Amino acid sequence: MRDDFEKLSGLTPPKASAEARARALAAAMQSFDEAEKNSSATQGSSFPVRQSSIFNRIWSPIMNRKLLAGSALATLLVVPAAAFLTFELTRDGAPFGERAQEIALKDETRKDEKRQKPEPQATAKKAVAEERARQEAKTVETPVAAPVESEAAAPAADAMANSVARDSVAPLSATGGMQPRMTFLPAPVVQEEMQPAPEHNRERFGKAESNPVKSVVTDPVSTFSVDVDTASYAFVRRSLMEGQLPERDAVRVEEMVNYFPYDWPRPESAAQPFKATVTVTPTPWNGGTRLMHVAIKGYDVVRTQAPKANLVFLIDVSGSMDEPDKLPLLKGAFRLLVEKLKPEDTVSIVTYAGNAGTVLEPTAVKDKAKILAAIDTLQPGGSTAGAEGIDAAYALAEKAFVKGGVNRVMLATDGDFNVGPSSDEDLKRLIEEKRKSGIFLSVLGFGRGNYNDALMQTIAQNGNGTAAYIDTLAEAQKTLVEEAGSSLFPIAKDVKLQVEFNPAAITEYRLIGYETRALKREDFNNDKVDAGDIGSGHSVTAIYEVTPKGSPAVLNDDLRYAEAEKPVAEASPNSGELAFLKIRYKKPDGDKSELITTPVTEANTVPALVEAPEDVRFSVAVAAFGQKLSGVTALADYTYDAVIDLAAASKGADPFGYRSEFVNLVRLAKGLGGSKN
Amino acid sequence: MRAGTDLDAELVEKAVSGDRQAFGRLVEQHYDFVHAVAWRWSGNASDADDIAQDVCLRLGAAIRGFRGTSRFRTWLYTLTLNAARDHRRQQARDDRRMQAYASEQATVAPPEDPDEEQREALWTAVRALPEKQCDAVLLVYAEGLSHQAAADVLGCSEATISWHVHEARKRLKTLLGKEAV
Repeated sequence: MRDDFEKLSGLTPPKASAEARARALAAAMQSFDEAEKNSSATQGSSFPVRQSSIFNRIWSPIMNRKLLAGSALATLLVVPAAAFLTFELTRDGAPFGERAQEIALKDETRKDEKRQKPEPQATAKKAVAEERARQEAKTVETPVAAPVESEAAAPAADAMANSVARDSVAPLSATGGMQPRMTFLPAPVVQEEMQPAPEHNRERFGKAESNPVKSVVTDPVSTFSVDVDTASYAFVRRSLMEGQLPERDAVRVEEMVNYFPYDWPRPESAAQPFKATVTVTPTPWNGGTRLMHVAIKGYDVVRTQAPKANLVFLIDVSGSMDEPDKLPLLKGAFRLLVEKLKPEDTVSIVTYAGNAGTVLEPTAVKDKAKILAAIDTLQPGGSTAGAEGIDAAYALAEKAFVKGGVNRVMLATDGDFNVGPSSDEDLKRLIEEKRKSGIFLSVLGFGRGNYNDALMQTIAQNGNGTAAYIDTLAEAQKTLVEEAGSSLFPIAKDVKLQVEFNPAAITEYRLIGYETRALKREDFNNDKVDAGDIGSGHSVTAIYEVTPKGSPAVLNDDLRYAEAEKPVAEASPNSGELAFLKIRYKKPDGDKSELITTPVTEANTVPALVEAPEDVRFSVAVAAFGQKLSGVTALADYTYDAVIDLAAASKGADPFGYRSEFVNLVRLAKGLGGSKN
Repeated sequence: MRAGTDLDAELVEKAVSGDRQAFGRLVEQHYDFVHAVAWRWSGNASDADDIAQDVCLRLGAAIRGFRGTSRFRTWLYTLTLNAARDHRRQQARDDRRMQAYASEQATVAPPEDPDEEQREALWTAVRALPEKQCDAVLLVYAEGLSHQAAADVLGCSEATISWHVHEARKRLKTLLGKEAV
């Protein structure tokens, strides 16, 4: 067979015809010039500009170029072409993203976005309006295509107006797909069943359905583990920036909410590791329900009091890491982290690829030059042998073990662990075992296309660590520098939350997010059951959508035979309470859990969402966005515009621009969202 | 790779920073390469023209976003492969629509040389493989890239390439029957 394959190299391609060559070069120059114009233009619709390249491609072999000079003619021809294009787009699934991702234009897209940020919303609206008008005019001509078009066109135009993933990527690649043939094609009659199956993304995400609405009568208690991971948000952001709606399974609402720094009320001392604040507000997307917003803030360890750290960087240097957004970014990220450490902390570096190797024995941070030099020497090559690497990393961590300090392996990878003979289960067991001996593990994810999110999350959860996804140096700065304290210094471990709802006040509830973190009711008091950790200064936010008793929004019918028990509940002394919040946690080095309880009463409620604190409103906006992306039906009628308004109005000071970025992401999603809003 | 890599790098850098002339020269230099790759992927000259032109368009729009950290040639491969893939999908759609009009497509005359014939059959079979496998096989065997370089182009790990090639072999075995293997 090998011989046969080698025959493939025997064919010499024919020479390209001079004509085709000239045409292609001309097209290249034109597109080059247009890209320049677009990047410098501040106003006006790029729509006709972009289309002229299609126009050129379709007609240049046939028509005299001089005719093209008449821009009026160009516009005339462009309109049907644009309509056809948008129609093609809808039939194609999500073409924006796929191509955008493939062309790997992340940087440019991002730059463009920054440059054009001030572009007035009015332009976008105008573009939509114009597009609609065009669609209406077209309706008469192509009745078959019309309904799809008008839905698709608005987001398409909007995406353009929003200018991200636009200039070069999306419409252009759509152009690429368009062949001259379209001009004489009949109205589409053939269905798409024969189309090649869409390409499978090899990224893997743990699958979890959104939490269902539960009836308080049958399930009065909701129990889950905290989650301070943020990987999902970075992943969602990356998808959107590349012009693609994220996969539903990639969206973990709680991680999106917890990505943002919030200024929740802080605990006063280290003796009380955190403080819970509960706010009950009306639900923006449902008039008949309320949101019960639980915000927990961890105690912020002052840096000088921070314990000594012993960090082992376990770095994937397999061949696939040889991409600008992987190894080079990773090096930058670790340099940032090293700068943040104290002189007496130690750092070691282990690489894995082909065979695992120790690059740097435990070295004190005061010897910074040596560490930085070691980071610089990292070179990609070989395939991944994660298991050996992990063993080596743990060996080094044990060697430099700091009693009472922070001992942590930081695993940086772009994808899968090639664990050889051992299975994922064995790997988990190993990490769990090491965790018990005091060495924790965090995961930093890089790149995309091959990222095994599910495994990384499991590894981090079992290792008492966080899983963060790093797509830009800014993200590295956020994760490793601004939040270094929280990811490095745990102040409490196995933090579990349990909420008991009072059936006299609340009929139904639904926990937003935390699907992968659900615990059994009885596990709350079982100290052997592992749960999430809270680091120094971390904040954790959980939101319930609750339906008050008697609300028209109640979904479940009353139970016919449960009537008799009700008066008892109403007579109890706790009848004024809506719910009862319990938090269990262990000190970082403790084995026995401690309990914090807070009753939730009408005193926690605010009559209108606008009266809620800014941070509450913003986190609700994020939760709404996350749910929309993950396809929660309850929010089907809540528009992206509403999310934008809610988030934009609660941005606050936003010193690092995280929240503005969020608003932009919602806009993007709206543009990409197809027929939905 | 070509001899003037340094020159190339300089040209790329200039083009990235918006030098129109440099970009023009760059495209000129690489057009034949793109065309050849496009031809291998599509198997016919007119498709190759279309794909190559499409790549040129994409290049013009995207060059400013290119970062010198990854190799230009690798990037070109990626662009070309994507364009070829889009082209094929588009064609698959068009073909189905065209069938309503034209009953039969012109058939390509079979080559005379039996060796050539066998090779042609192999090519056809390879192109009929699932996209990823086809890409991997063509990059490794037709383009003569190492598994590592192919992995870079396709943005996956080396092991994945090896796996695709392995799968492709398995599938071709069943496709072509024993004698061809």
